Amino acid sequence: MTNGATSLSAGLCAELSIEADSAEIRRASIWIAKTGMDFGVPMEQLGRLDICLNEVLANVIEHGGEEAISSPIGLEFLVSRLDPSNLEAAITVSDSGLAFDPLSFEQKPRTHSLEEAEPGGLGLTMMQEFVDSLSYRYRDGQNRLTFCVRWLNP
Amino acid sequence: MTIEYVDVDENLRRISLSGRLDIQGTEAISGKFTALSSTAKKQVIVDLTAVSFLASMGIRELISNAKALQRRGGKMVLFVGDNALVAKILETTNINELLPMFTDAAEAEKAALA
Repeated sequence: MTNGATSLSAGLCAELSIEADSAEIRRASIWIAKTGMDFGVPMEQLGRLDICLNEVLANVIEHGGEEAISSPIGLEFLVSRLDPSNLEAAITVSDSGLAFDPLSFEQKPRTHSLEEAEPGGLGLTMMQEFVDSLSYRYRDGQNRLTFCVRWLNP
Repeated sequence: MTIEYVDVDENLRRISLSGRLDIQGTEAISGKFTALSSTAKKQVIVDLTAVSFLASMGIRELISNAKALQRRGGKMVLFVGDNALVAKILETTNINELLPMFTDAAEAEKAALA
């Protein structure tokens, strides 16, 4: 387990490593909230990051396979200025599980009746709906998923 | 995560959840929620006004128990009050089209009993 914060000329950066266990998701949420507040990220954007982070980590733990749950999950939190009036907070989740690109996932057609509703897929929908951008790459046996939220500099 | 209930009358039960309905929170209340929503009461209002976070795992818990209740001829409605975050999550995931969602307690009760 590691936890460190560094001030960079280009922005603010912090890292955390967690075990791939559902109990650790809440610790990651607490870390995001505290670090985000320290970095000046507005509450609304922190809430959106928290929603996405929970879904990403749950997905890794539930569907990432043996490699995912036997290796730590890395979290990087970066806050940077895009231009004089726009700021961005980005979280990158790195895991050793099965390669999975959430950007390749097509949302299911919306169900309009409770009878037809099926569990599954909701987390990916939430990931796509609550952040401003998602990017994914798989390299050296690791999934690296980055999700970002942006806001206007007051 | 806490779970409480009140039997409003012989047909209607209000189940109130509070705290984070993430994986941990959902696991904590799952058994009791299923038991409370599968009793003889046919209509159930789930009060989410004090839920501070709602993950997909929590939504699945609501859906699976609502489906089971519906199969027994009952109905589940959601009461969110002024909880904007939870309302937004339910709207974004389209769950409000599957489970009627209300910001007003009296309307939720009326819909549950309709």
